[in-house]
Amino acid sequence: MKTLCLVCQNVDCKNRGSEQLMAELQKRVEAKGLADIEVKSYMCFGACQEGPNVVLYPEKNWYAGVKVDDLDEITAHLAGGPHVQRLDTIDSSLKELIYQLLDTGVF
Amino acid sequence: MEGILFPRGVVEGREGLEQYRARGGYAALAKAVRTTPEDIIKEVSEAGLRGRGGAAFPTGKKWSLTRECAEQPHYLVVNGGEDEPGSKKDRMLMEHLPHLVIEGVILSAYAIGASKAYLYINANYEAAIKSMSDALTEAKTADYWGNNVLQSNFALDIELTPAPHNYVAGEDTAALEVIEGKKAWPRQKPPFPVTVGLFGKPTAVNNVESLANVPPIILHGAEWYRRFGTAESSGTMIFSLNDDVNRPGVYELPFGTPLRYLIEECGGGIKNGKKIKAIMPAAPSSAFLPSDKIDTPLDHNSMREAGSALGCGVVRLIGEGTCIVEEVLKISEFFTVESCGQCPACRMETNTLTSLLKKVQQGQGGQPILEQFGKILAFNKGKGFCNLIAMPGPPIESALQLFPEDFQAHLTTGKCPAN
Repeated sequence: MKTLCLVCQNVDCKNRGSEQLMAELQKRVEAKGLADIEVKSYMCFGACQEGPNVVLYPEKNWYAGVKVDDLDEITAHLAGGPHVQRLDTIDSSLKELIYQLLDTGVF
Repeated sequence: MEGILFPRGVVEGREGLEQYRARGGYAALAKAVRTTPEDIIKEVSEAGLRGRGGAAFPTGKKWSLTRECAEQPHYLVVNGGEDEPGSKKDRMLMEHLPHLVIEGVILSAYAIGASKAYLYINANYEAAIKSMSDALTEAKTADYWGNNVLQSNFALDIELTPAPHNYVAGEDTAALEVIEGKKAWPRQKPPFPVTVGLFGKPTAVNNVESLANVPPIILHGAEWYRRFGTAESSGTMIFSLNDDVNRPGVYELPFGTPLRYLIEECGGGIKNGKKIKAIMPAAPSSAFLPSDKIDTPLDHNSMREAGSALGCGVVRLIGEGTCIVEEVLKISEFFTVESCGQCPACRMETNTLTSLLKKVQQGQGGQPILEQFGKILAFNKGKGFCNLIAMPGPPIESALQLFPEDFQAHLTTGKCPAN
């Protein structure tokens, strides 16, 4: 299975620039030639106050409050680099809720 | 039909001013302007009138909360948005008994101390708008509203505003937004309209059917009114039946009448002679009841005890052979489409529930998918500006509880048990 890079696109996060963020992420993934990565929009992860959010699935990494400036580090992670600890701020119970949802195939 | 709103002998078709006056029309108003607004509120409170728009809030309480506000002016908004699918009661009242509604409007305005009332009527209801508009002209000529109502010092202006016909436009604060010339988006509450309503002023938003009950209460008294219905749900309610019964229509019945009477005696039973699988007493947002609850009395307490709600009285029947998964998917899709989109949580919840149900329909997700519904509903509980976010929960959760075999059939065979 490809690694999905899910970028939330609910109203709050769109207001915070999540559409542009997704487009930029897509460009960087392509520029790095990461063929097994698919950047995809997602309705909402329920963490609007901390958005925009990028969730990597099935590896289950969640980056919150992501800005365009953070994308190089995230792309580096996708290419096998280190996990971006400072963006991993989401509460574990919410992570569990959303990961279970993703496990049922809802994306 | 015989009841409080449609008593024996009421004319077929539209009732004109003279016909209404011949049966005591506007006598309640004549009586009211000789008493105080507080007397009117007291009578309506003692009658136990509760709102008929779905929330069943005590009308007298809403009025006194509005009246008590020092801030001026006060407004009355008459909610004839009637956006619940299958609801026809307010349209029926406005088309057939426009003067009864208008007398209720004037009495309400008098009670809350409003000098301006807005009739917010579903723009699709052309006949109702025409009927109300003509009746307003007749009533003004007869001095029932205007500068000196029946030669008293009470002045009232009434304006008709067409309402958009999307679902949330019928929400009380969305109605205020539309009248203010904005998009039909619900407001965050509190503050409630009784304190900060139309143009920021104290406002009572009353449903059409609620107001139609007021003239009979004032004319005949609270004690007379309480002869109808039950102690906690006094009076009558108009129920809407649709194409799932043999005789679709609107039926006014005293609260407490068994559900079976409405379905069998009024509606002529479920169509095509099927057995009833489930009953939805307040479509589309109430919990399903199993068919053995058919003798539940139609009142707020009894419905709550049975596990559902009365809402605004759109009763739906699900026949044997119908798959409940398909039914709740349609309901969930309805709320997803009708969510106005301003609250992120509502978009998240309605979209996720619909996605989950589609997966179930396609036989995907296995047993764990069934556990996700409750978690998503719990996560979003209490969020959002209006009640829409709470609406998909009861149908979905009751369907899971009452008809797990339909969900299992989809998940294990990937096929709908109805086919």
